[in-house]
Amino acid sequence: MTVTARHQALAGVVGLALLCLPWVRHALEASMWRHMIVQFPLLMGAGALLAAGLPARARTAVARCNAQGICGLLLVVLVLAVGMVPRVLDLALLRPEVEWAKLAALVAAGAALRLSWRPAGLVLQFFFLGNVLPMMAVVGSLYIESPLRLCNAYLLDDQARLGEWLIGTAAGVAALWLAWVAWVMVRREARAQLGAPSRAPR
Amino acid sequence: MWRTAIVSVLLLLCGYSAAAWLTRDFQVWTDEGARRHDVALHPVPAPAVAVQGPGVTAATLPALLAEGGDVHIVDFFYTRCLTVCRTLGGSFQQLQAALQADAAAGQPSGVRLVSISVDGAHDDPAALTAYAGGLHAQPALWQFVRVPDAAQQQALLRRLGVVVVPDGRGDFEHNAALLVFDRHGRMVRVFDLAEQQLALNYARHLARQPAPEGLS
Repeated sequence: MTVTARHQALAGVVGLALLCLPWVRHALEASMWRHMIVQFPLLMGAGALLAAGLPARARTAVARCNAQGICGLLLVVLVLAVGMVPRVLDLALLRPEVEWAKLAALVAAGAALRLSWRPAGLVLQFFFLGNVLPMMAVVGSLYIESPLRLCNAYLLDDQARLGEWLIGTAAGVAALWLAWVAWVMVRREARAQLGAPSRAPR
Repeated sequence: MWRTAIVSVLLLLCGYSAAAWLTRDFQVWTDEGARRHDVALHPVPAPAVAVQGPGVTAATLPALLAEGGDVHIVDFFYTRCLTVCRTLGGSFQQLQAALQADAAAGQPSGVRLVSISVDGAHDDPAALTAYAGGLHAQPALWQFVRVPDAAQQQALLRRLGVVVVPDGRGDFEHNAALLVFDRHGRMVRVFDLAEQQLALNYARHLARQPAPEGLS
């Protein structure tokens, strides 16, 4: 484990401990949009940092069951799909066992995302985002359009704001990924031209 | 690669089971939906909390709901409410009118109405009397009660799945609904406010069932 990896894992432990503190949880879960748009990604971030602390042997063992990052990305899709069911938010407030299961699932999803992102490659990343982001946008528009409160614990305007954030986040992530892909392509192209100046560009 | 395939299938199974458990086999998506679904399958007995209200002689909620062997339609409200409780009050006025029409036609329906305050600290019997008067409630058909003890009120709301949240403007929002209690004081159905006629017909139907022994 390198020094930065240890630092990252340490940051993950500290972050997760902070997120588990009752008053931090209550503050984040007091509003519907903070619950999903702030707490969910923070927990996934803590999981991603923790994944840096995995010893090499464990990493190899995980990679053996995770060809092209397929299992990891599948886990993330499933956790996000189930996590966006409105009942999860209500139950997480009412039943501690659901709250802890939600927490563990999101941390695991964050770790899985980090371990699977590179192995997946651009094509699988595109496939993954092509599933997750439209799902987020559709759920977001349902939250905005619903005339009924979908969670007993939250108000209608809070729900609509969550919907807007979900759509905005989906659009933002898509734009970021496309920009990143464009940058990778340009760099690849440049490298190819430098490496083989005599060959005609494809 | 085969390891990846096996783990993927296991993950899919886990995800499917979690989603099926969460949504009651893909029938409900919200906790309110799950509550209504569960109540219909497993009636919830009213907890024995002390109640108090104008003209109410019963000391506890189960005793109140067992009075006269009637079926009850129950709602939750508070007198300072300016939003959804007004709608509820209107619904209950229409329900009362329908019950009065039943009685006038010589066929008492055996259904009565109870409004329970979620603001027991403020809604004392005097406040309830004034509120009931404003809605022209007939005490024989429609009673108003509060649960004076805060802990008992909390227990009652939790048991019946009523969630009250402050709306940030000094008011409260709650999952307002029409709760139908059978003659034994068990909550057997939860209807949406829009399903007022359905709730009434269901309660009338329950009241027409043969009376249990020991009750008229």
